[in-house]
Amino acid sequence: MNRIAYGLVTFLLVSLAWIVSSSAAEKPLLMELASSTLNISTFYNGTTLEVTGSVPEDMDVALQVSGPKKEVHLKEKGKVAGFLWMNKTDVSLENTPAVYMVYTPPGAVDKFLSSELGLGYKALSKDITINPESEDKAFIFAEYVKLMEHSGVYAIHEGAVSYGESNGNMKGFSVTLDIPSKMSPGNYQIKALAIKDGAIIDETQENLSMELTGLPAYIAKMAFGQPLLFGIIAVVIAIATGLIIGTLFKGGKGSH
Amino acid sequence: MLHMYLPIAGNSVNVFLILGLGGFVGLLSGIFGVGGGFLMTPLLMMFGIPPTVAAASDSNQIVGASTSGTLAHMRLGNVDIPMGIMLLIGGVAGGTIGVQVIKLLKAMGNADFLIAITYVIMLGGVGGYMFWESLQGLKKEKNSPATEEKPVTEKNAPQKSLMQKLPLQFKFAKSGCEISMLLPVIFGILVGILAAIMGVGGGFIMVPVMVYLLRMPMHVVVGTSLFQILFTCINVTVMQSYSNHTVDFVLAVLLLLGSTIGAQVGTAVSKRLKADQLKIMLASLVLLVCVKMTAGLLMTPTIMVALKGGH
Repeated sequence: MNRIAYGLVTFLLVSLAWIVSSSAAEKPLLMELASSTLNISTFYNGTTLEVTGSVPEDMDVALQVSGPKKEVHLKEKGKVAGFLWMNKTDVSLENTPAVYMVYTPPGAVDKFLSSELGLGYKALSKDITINPESEDKAFIFAEYVKLMEHSGVYAIHEGAVSYGESNGNMKGFSVTLDIPSKMSPGNYQIKALAIKDGAIIDETQENLSMELTGLPAYIAKMAFGQPLLFGIIAVVIAIATGLIIGTLFKGGKGSH
Repeated sequence: MLHMYLPIAGNSVNVFLILGLGGFVGLLSGIFGVGGGFLMTPLLMMFGIPPTVAAASDSNQIVGASTSGTLAHMRLGNVDIPMGIMLLIGGVAGGTIGVQVIKLLKAMGNADFLIAITYVIMLGGVGGYMFWESLQGLKKEKNSPATEEKPVTEKNAPQKSLMQKLPLQFKFAKSGCEISMLLPVIFGILVGILAAIMGVGGGFIMVPVMVYLLRMPMHVVVGTSLFQILFTCINVTVMQSYSNHTVDFVLAVLLLLGSTIGAQVGTAVSKRLKADQLKIMLASLVLLVCVKMTAGLLMTPTIMVALKGGH
């Protein structure tokens, strides 16, 4: 009887160990954000966000930050009358994220920016549709990316993921995310991918919320909630400032 | 460096940079009687502010600067209020007509092309003529310093008699002329239409119209123009805020802190300059903007798409 009980306990322990180890193999990637909410207050000028985590020793980690998808309306420039460059054709891109950033680990960046991994502008363009369809999507999208990179909301940060000390068969990683001031209030997704031999082994996602607080929140609420009153107040304050400065200067020059 | 977040523009700016920019444009409006929107809007766009927000917040700022400037010019006796009111009535009517004209042009297609061409030709024509005319004036003055005041030339005689035939004759004391009240209203309408089509306040068209068509003294032109701009911009600010939510209050306050002081300094500078000197400086500024616009139209853009939403 004792033997049977001993055998049963051993069996249970072994199966438990197997379950634990296999679930660890399914979730080898761990990611943590320093904060899941960022506040935009009066003197806000963009910020950074620390992301840390761990991944098996033999894998790489890449991060993707993307924001609310929307339809963007663009004007394509073209020549008018043969020599004048002007905004000519209306084009819109559907399903375009407002923010798109990729952070790759050290090493050749091309290895990570592939359609298989779903990272990079080429992969992103697959989800986007152009209207009218007669327009050259690849060209328009590439130009749009240039425009967004210029304002800082689209970026490929090569080699920005750094690895820490290894701990057994896991190693730590850390990334400093760049949050430009042009990144508007809203909800964003931060996705981490564990990559080995060009394939995704695991992935995990966290949400980041950006919110207006204090004076900016109050002004935005007023501008959209009571637009007429807001316009009148803006004018009254402008006139008052003009009168005050005007009177101050009169006082300064009153001696002559 | 101190930065502030602009909740409507959705970006942050360097506080000192915007104060300085406001100061510079305020200086120009105090000297020349122009709002400076034609300079301010593109500069703000360079700092990552959307064009619609830049234009609307700038008009809010001009309210402050022109209040400050009008006050300073009023003290110097440079504001012809009846003339300003007549121009304003015309300007508002013209602006309303202009908005309809744009709708019509847009329906016909090629509106952008017509707007750009009108803009460049107006800037080039007005700037070129003012430059040439004030250069002649400065040269004459050098050769014969005795003839300070220009006598009314013979060329104006027929034009004048036609003006006198119009009804509602009124003596505009500050401007030193007796003309029909309809005349400034008509010119105001024309400027208002052009300003609405080109999407600018129109100070730099209004100033030459007052100088060359209404023959007002240059210093009174500057003061009266500011008086008129004040009311135009109050209207634009309230309308923009109400229908488009594009007035960024933080941006406007930063700009107007600089520009109200700039306008006072500008008025003091304006007082020290002769009419021809003022005209030639304004003409150079207008020509500079014209050259920049033309270059922008001729050079191949670095990015072939732009976000829709400008005017």
